[in-house]
Amino acid sequence: MDERTREYLRGRFADYYRAAETPLPPAANEREWGHIPWTPGSGTTMVRHQSQLDLGDIGEFLTRTAPRHVYFSAARYDDPGASTMGAKGWRGADLIFDLDADHLPRVDPAETSYKEMLAACKDALQRLLSFLEADFGFTGLRIVFSGGRGYHVHVRTDSIQSLDSDARGEIVDYVRGRDLDTDGLIRVASTGGATQRLLRTEGGWGRRVHDELRSLTTELRELPETDALDRLTSFDGIGEGRAETILGALAANPQAIERGNMEAGGPGIRLLADALADRVVDEHAAPIDEPVTTDTHRLIRLPGSLHGGSGLVVTPIDRENLDSFEPLVDAVPERFTTQDIAIEVEEPTEVALGGDTIKLNPGVHSVPESIAVFLMTRGDAAKAPA
Amino acid sequence: MAITPRDARYPFLAAARETVTETGVDLGTLVANDEPAVDRGRERVERALLAGRVDAETPDEWRLEDELLSYPIARILVSLLDSPAAVEKYAAAEAKTAIERLKDDLDTAGSELRSTPDASLDRATLIAELGLDGAITPEADTPQPAAAPEWFWIEVGTYLDLATGLGDDWRLVNRELSDGQVRVDREELFRLLRAAIRRRVAEGLPFEGLDKDEGIAAELEAELTELRRLLSERTTVGEIDFVARELFPPCIENLLQKAEDGIELEAIEQFTLMAFLTGIGMDADEIVAFCGESSLDPEGIRYQIEYLQADRGTQYPPPSCETLSTYGICHNEDDHWKVAGHPLAYYQHQLEATDDDLVDWREQAAVDDSE
Repeated sequence: MDERTREYLRGRFADYYRAAETPLPPAANEREWGHIPWTPGSGTTMVRHQSQLDLGDIGEFLTRTAPRHVYFSAARYDDPGASTMGAKGWRGADLIFDLDADHLPRVDPAETSYKEMLAACKDALQRLLSFLEADFGFTGLRIVFSGGRGYHVHVRTDSIQSLDSDARGEIVDYVRGRDLDTDGLIRVASTGGATQRLLRTEGGWGRRVHDELRSLTTELRELPETDALDRLTSFDGIGEGRAETILGALAANPQAIERGNMEAGGPGIRLLADALADRVVDEHAAPIDEPVTTDTHRLIRLPGSLHGGSGLVVTPIDRENLDSFEPLVDAVPERFTTQDIAIEVEEPTEVALGGDTIKLNPGVHSVPESIAVFLMTRGDAAKAPA
Repeated sequence: MAITPRDARYPFLAAARETVTETGVDLGTLVANDEPAVDRGRERVERALLAGRVDAETPDEWRLEDELLSYPIARILVSLLDSPAAVEKYAAAEAKTAIERLKDDLDTAGSELRSTPDASLDRATLIAELGLDGAITPEADTPQPAAAPEWFWIEVGTYLDLATGLGDDWRLVNRELSDGQVRVDREELFRLLRAAIRRRVAEGLPFEGLDKDEGIAAELEAELTELRRLLSERTTVGEIDFVARELFPPCIENLLQKAEDGIELEAIEQFTLMAFLTGIGMDADEIVAFCGESSLDPEGIRYQIEYLQADRGTQYPPPSCETLSTYGICHNEDDHWKVAGHPLAYYQHQLEATDDDLVDWREQAAVDDSE
C-alpha cells in the first residue's frame, strides 16, 4: 500500500471514529486492548498488552490514532496491561465463537463469491445459534459480523466465565459434533428386570437424531408402502426384510418411536438411527474455529470498529434482525456513502457492495467511497492523485 | 455445642468446622499432648495414601471427638508432607469415603425410620454446602418422586467444571444437553458430587506458613516420617538421567563400596544396585565401566541389566528402604528415610536439592577418556 492510500485511509478511519459511537464491552478497564496501526509495508505488528489506563478514553484513542484494526480481550484481568499472561492475573473470560467463511465445509473460497461465502457463513451461524440457545440455554448473545469473512458470537453468562481451556474445548466438540459416539446415543435401561434400548431423547445430539427419526417416520406413514420400502432400503445396511420389520413396527406401535424406544422395529431401527446420526452431524454441526473459543487469552475485534481489511463496520446484530441482515449492505459505514473518489486499479476487478455491483478495468475510476475504501483496504486499488 | 455423629462423619462441612471452633480445642495442645485425634489423623492420611479412603480401620476405638478433630490434624499432616500428589490423593480419599457415607445415609433414609437422625446427611444439604444450590435439580418427571430420583439436571457450566477429564462417557458431545442443563443419572450425580467434595477438601491445601521445624510441625515429626516413607514407596519416581555418586543414598553407596572392596554381593544386593543404576538412566556399558574396579563381573552385570531394562524404572525399580532393611541392606543411615524412603526418590530429592554445579559421571568419564 502506498503512502497516499495509507494516509487517506487513516484520515477517513479517523473521520469515522469521530462521528461514531463505539460502545465499550462491560468491564472495559479489566480487559487487554490491542490494535494494529497503519504502518508501511505488508507486515502487521499488533500493539497489545495495553490497558484502558494506557490508552485513555477509548473513543478519543480511536479518533486520535485511527488504527487499522482494534481488538479487546475476551478475558478480564487484575492487571490487563502487564506484559505477560502470568502477570496479568486472569479473572475469567467471555466465551467467544468465530465462524470464518474460509473454513466452511463444502465451500470452496476460490469458486465462491464473497457474498455467497458470507451467506453460507450465516447459515452456519444459524446452526451455531441453535446449539447456543436451545442446548446451552445461553441468553443475551452478542452476535457480530466481523467486517471480514465471518461472524463472532460473544457469550457473557456468569457461569461460563471461569471455564478453563479444556472445558471450552468440550463446548467446541459439542457444537462441531466431534467425537460423537453414535452408538452411545442409545442407552440400555432396565425396568423390572427387563432391559430396553432407548434413544437419548431429552437433549443433545440424541434429541436431534430423534427429531430426524420422527420426521422420517411421519414421512413413511404418508407414503404408499412400496415407496416407503424404497425410502428405507436407500439407507446403508437396511434390506427389504429389515425395512418390512420397521414398517410393521411403525404400524403396530406408533408411540414407540415417539418415546425413543429402539426395540420395536428390530435391529433395523437401530441401523436407521445410526445412519441418521451421521447425517444429522453432517447437517447440523457448526464449523467454528476452535482456537478462538479455547484460547482464554484471545483478543477479538471490537464491535463498532472498522475492519482494516475491508473498511466495513464490525457490526453488532440484534437477534431479531439477523434474518434480514445483509453484511455487504448493512456493514457499509454511512460515513463513506456520500461522495465518489478516484482510485486506480491494476487488475480487472469486480466488487459487490451496498447493493451495487461494479466492474472496473485497469485504470483510474471515480467510484462511491465505500467501494474505494473496500478495494484500497484489500490492496486491490490505490488512491489516485487528487 | 455437642459434637454430632454427622460432624464426625462429614468433617469438611461448614457445620463441622463450626463445631471444631466451638469446642475451643487448640490443635497445638492436642498435638503436644499426643491426644488420640493425632493418631487417628495420621491413620486418616495413611489410609488415604494406601487404601484411597479415610474411614478408621477400627471405628469403635475412636470417640466422636477424635474422629472430628482428626480431620484438621490430617490436613496439617498433608500440608507438611509437601507433596502435591499427597494432597491430591488425600482429597480424593476424603471424597470417596464421604460419598459412600452419603449413599448409606440415603439408603437408610429411604427404607425406614432413621435410628440416628443427627448422623446422616441428605443430598440437598450436601449440594447446598458445596455451593451447588440451584445448579442441580432432580428431574420432575420421576416415577417415585419422594424416594430416589433417577435423573438429575446439572447446569452446564457446573457440569463442565466437575466432569471435564473424567473420561469419554462424560464428554459433553455425548450428553443430553437441553436449555443449559445436562442430564445425569443418580450414580453419575454421586460421581460429580465426589469431584466437588474432592475440590472442597483440597481447597487451601497445603496450608501456607506452617514452619516445618517448629511448633506443631516439630511435634508431628514422628507421624510425618512415617507418612513420608509410605508416600515414597507409593510414588513413582520421575525419569532420572544423571549420575552423581556423591548424592547416592547411603545404602546404595554401601553396596558399591562393598563391591569395590572385592566382596561378593548377594543376589538381592546385586539386584538392588543394578536396579538403582538402571533407574538413574545408565545403560549396560556405562554400568560395566562404572563398576569396573569391583567384585562384579561384566557378564553378570550385562545379564541382569538386560532383564531389568525390559521396562526401565517401572517394572523393576529397586526395593524400598524398608524392604531393604529387612534384608539388612538399609539401616536408615544418617536418618535418610526422613528425606525419602526409597533409594530412587532419595536420589531424586538430593539431585533437586543440590545447588552445586554437578558433573554427570558419564561426561566426566568421557573427558577422562579423551585426555
